[in-house]
This record gives sequence, C-alpha cells and structure tokens, in this order.
Amino acid sequence: MANRTSAAQRPNGSTQGKICQFKLVLLGESAVGKSSLVLRFVKGQFHEYQESTIGAAFLTQTVCLDDTTVKFEIWDTAGQERYHSLAPMYYRGAQAAIVVYDITNQDTFARAKTWVKELQRQASPNIVIALAGNKQDLANKRMVEYEEAQAHAEENGLLFMETSAKTAMNVNDIFLAIAKKLPKNEQTTGPGGSGQGRRLVEGDSGAKAAGNCCK
Amino acid sequence: MASSMYSKVDEYGFERPESFDYKQYGNFLSQYIGVLAKRAKRWEDLKPTDRFKKTSTLKRFVRKGVPSSEREAVWMSISGAQEMQNESMVQYSSLKKYMENTTITEMIKIDIPRTFPDNIYFANDSILPEQLFNILATFAHHNKEVGYCQGLNYIAGLLLLVTKSEESSFWLLKVLVEQILPKYYIRSMSGLLIDLDVLDEFVQKNEPALHRHITRVGMPWAVASTKWFICLYAEVLPTETVLRIWDCIFYEGSKVIFRVALTLIKIHRQQILEARDLGEMVECFRKMGQNINVVNCHQFMIEVFKTPSSFSNRYLEKVREKHSALRST
Ligand SMILES: Nc1nc2c(ncn2[C@@H]2O[C@H](COP(=O)(O)OP(=O)(O)OP(=O)(O)O)[C@@H](O)[C@H]2O)c(=O)[nH]1
Ligand SMILES: [Mg+2]
Repeated sequence: MANRTSAAQRPNGSTQGKICQFKLVLLGESAVGKSSLVLRFVKGQFHEYQESTIGAAFLTQTVCLDDTTVKFEIWDTAGQERYHSLAPMYYRGAQAAIVVYDITNQDTFARAKTWVKELQRQASPNIVIALAGNKQDLANKRMVEYEEAQAHAEENGLLFMETSAKTAMNVNDIFLAIAKKLPKNEQTTGPGGSGQGRRLVEGDSGAKAAGNCCK
Repeated sequence: MASSMYSKVDEYGFERPESFDYKQYGNFLSQYIGVLAKRAKRWEDLKPTDRFKKTSTLKRFVRKGVPSSEREAVWMSISGAQEMQNESMVQYSSLKKYMENTTITEMIKIDIPRTFPDNIYFANDSILPEQLFNILATFAHHNKEVGYCQGLNYIAGLLLLVTKSEESSFWLLKVLVEQILPKYYIRSMSGLLIDLDVLDEFVQKNEPALHRHITRVGMPWAVASTKWFICLYAEVLPTETVLRIWDCIFYEGSKVIFRVALTLIKIHRQQILEARDLGEMVECFRKMGQNINVVNCHQFMIEVFKTPSSFSNRYLEKVREKHSALRST
C-alpha cells in the first residue's frame, strides 16, 4: 500500500484539497440490507429482491467534506453465520464499520451487538463504528425500539441511525457522519496506516472515483 | 438456441449483462450452432450403453459438451446421482414429507425470491420458486452437517432450470455436496478455506508473476474466488459456459474447478497485470465472465483442458491434505 502524500496539481493546473481514503466494512445478519445500503449509497438504486452476497463485494464511493474528499473503499460481506470465518479478512485494517440490523427482527439486533463486541475486541482500536437500524420504512412492523438501540449505541460509543435503503432515508447521512468522525490529519498517516486514513492526492490511481463526489 | 440470438435473455432465462457485446456474440453463435448440431449427431450415434458408461470416449464427449436435451440423464448417470437415488431406501417424495419448520427453513424462505430475481422463469413462474424451496429444505433436513448454506440456492436453481425436474435436481445437489465436492458448505466451511489455499499454491506454481502482482496489490483469494467454489461459477460466468463446466465437474470431479480457475487467470494475464490497486483488481476478476473468450464456451473449454496444469484427483487430494494440516497447526 503506497502512501503518497506529495503535493500535486490537477491536470488543469488548479490546486485542490486533500483526499483521504478509508476502508469501511459492513457487517450484520443475512438479509438485513447491507448490500442494499451500499447499492443505494453508491448507485442510488434499490432492488426489491437483492441477491444474497456470497463471500464479499467491493465497491468505492467518494464524499466531500469541506475541503476534503473522502474516498470509501467498501467491503460488503456475506451475512450468513457460517461465512463468519471469512469476516476478519474484511474488517482487519478497516477504519470504519457499519453494523446493520433489521428493525423488524429482534434476532438481527442481537447479532449486531455481537458484531460490535467482536469489532471492539479484534478490529483496529480506533475503528469508527456505526450502528444502522435498517428497513425504517417498515416501522409498522418494528420489533426493535429506537430508544433501545440508541442506548446501546451510546454505551458503546457508536454512531447510530435508523436507515432505509428503500426510501434512501439516512443512507448518505450515515456515511457522511462516519466521514466526519474519521481522523483526517495527515501526521497520523504513517506507512501501513493502521487505523488511519491514507491520504492521497488526486491523480493517484486510488482517487479516480472522485468524480462521483458532491452529488 | 438460435431464437435467443438477439434476445436480451439467454436460453435459460437469464438477462445478459448491460455491456453485452451482441455482435461478437452473434459471430460466436453462428459457429457454435454448427458445433452443437455436430455434437448432437455424435451423441445420437453413441450406442445407448456407451452413453452412460464412464469410458474415455464418454469423457471426451463430455468435455466437448453434453447436448442440452441430454443433460438431465447424462448428469444423473455420470455424477453417481442415479446410483444414489437407486440405492436410497426412500423416494424423494417421501423424504420431502419431513421438512421441518425451523430457522433453517425460514432462512431458505427469505432466499427464494432473492435467487435469480432477474431470471424470467423464476420471476414469472410460481412453480419454480416452490420447487427450489422443496429441494433446499428437504436437503437441509436430511443433511444436518450442512443444513442450508447460501450459494446452494444458486446451484439448485440452475439445476432446476436445466433439468426441469425437482427430483433430479435434488439428487444432483445431494451428490455434488456429499460426494463430488469437498466440505465447502458445512458450518466451518473448512473445505472452502483449504481450497482457497490450494488455489493460491497452484497460481503461484503456474503463474508466478501474476501471483506476485496479485499478492502485492493485496487481494485475498477469498474475495475473487469464494463464488467460484461455492456456486461452481453460477452467477459468475455466462450460463452456457457454466453448464459446460458442470458437464465436466459431474464427470471428473472438483479438480475441474481449479482448471477453470487457472484458465481464467491465464487468459486475463494482461488485465491482471494492469490492475494497479485492489479496486481495479477486484473489478478485473468480477468482469472475467464478460470476456468473449469466456462467453465462447467451446473455445474456453478447449483452453481449460489445454492448460498444462493437468493433474489427477489423487494429486489434488494430497495438496488438500497438506493445506488442511497447515491450517490446523
Ligand atoms: N422494506 C425494505 N426492504 C429492504 C431494505 N433494505 C433491504 N431490503 C430488502 O431486504 C432484502 C435483503 O437485502 P440485502 O441488501 O440483500 O441484505 P444483506 O444484508 O446484504 O444480505 P446478505 O447478503 O445475505 O448478507 C432484499 O430483498 C431487500 O430488497 C429497506 O430499507 N426496506
Ligand atoms: Mg448482501
């Protein structure tokens, strides 16, 4: 992983703000809507019947925060319990995680809590964790109270939002909130960058998706 | 086949990818139709006894493709599924009665509408989803070690589309999971983890430069290849290519998965070397199924069996044992 921080000019000659790249992983029980959240965030789409993820999928998306461009490298993992043994590969070195549950299903919330515990024990110590209570559009079938989840998030220092991949509610917001919370100061971007974003400069191979920025 | 020439869906009801190159495909198809006709004739001329006896002739025939109208019968025979069915004390219809209402069947229920949602037969036909549920739930009930593993839905779904028989699909799924493939689908997925290591070793041996580059970029094999093993290339490569691969897996066993993997990697040498970061590398692997040299299933299968990486099942077992031992230390 190259760590390129040299100042550079855009091809058109104007200078530009810094670009930070972060690895983000989505975890949570199968069918809670991890892939749907990513699809909404990256492509603005929603599929009524999203295919289950086998292994993992990798996507990127960029958001703008003031003078900083934040590029997310997103790992969308498989939710079924038995794929668990592959998960550490994806959260290892991740700077951020979204742990997703389905507000209409209490079991998925219990599973989300164990994911949070596992991340706190095994992932990078500075990892930013967000808890997403997805399928908020189905609030009439709610089985997990907002307050219950919020209390859990507060106790554990997690960001928390209820989201809907279907209506797009809070989808961009949760990624933005994560982006805001991630450290972007360049002193801390040492080689290997464990727990810290790698700062890149536009023109680098890693930053080419920045065109999607600020939609 | 000809009727689907310019159709947006293939013969089995799958939508073609957005970037599908119809012109190149048309060129391939005009040749392939000839190949199919010739192969169909050759199969017709096979003595009935030779059709199902595992001889070097049949192996050659299978490598050149089983005609789609013969697939159900030939797969049942060469895979051992027919034998399994014959030797079973109970018929599928009575096995089916014992499905339980458990968390496993709940899980399967959730996955049924998520299996091939864009396939016109699954979307428009109510019987297919129901049959798929029956197969997976019955299998899960009778194989407690496996239960239900996501990925099996795609295999069973494609088996159904090809054989159009719930019962044959059940036995074919069973023989694949219990006899032909290693322990990919059990709770620990140990067979998958081992085969990912085996693949790593094979790539390192056969394509050291590519292996070095992939390692440098930092892509774990699990990312690109989990689906290769779990879905046997369903949902990864074009349907006709997948079925040609399955012809050979049913005959020759799981080593075919590796030969296909090594061929995919070999024919994308340039693209792999040009991938500069993890994102580009993952994208390169994801797009392999769109390459015309993969869409051209006949040429692709010739390539698969030409690759110098020919090896026996016994050798593969030895390498698996080695990695299994390494993993448990
Ligand atoms: N109503 C509603 N349905 C949703 C929402 N998000 C996802 N879904 C549906 O829930 C199902 C599962 O969504 P996925 O995104 O595939 O779930 P996943 O967590 O990626 O599941 P795995 O890949 O199996 O781990 C799909 O049929 C989606 O259409 C949502 O916000 N509201
Ligand atoms: Mg998913």
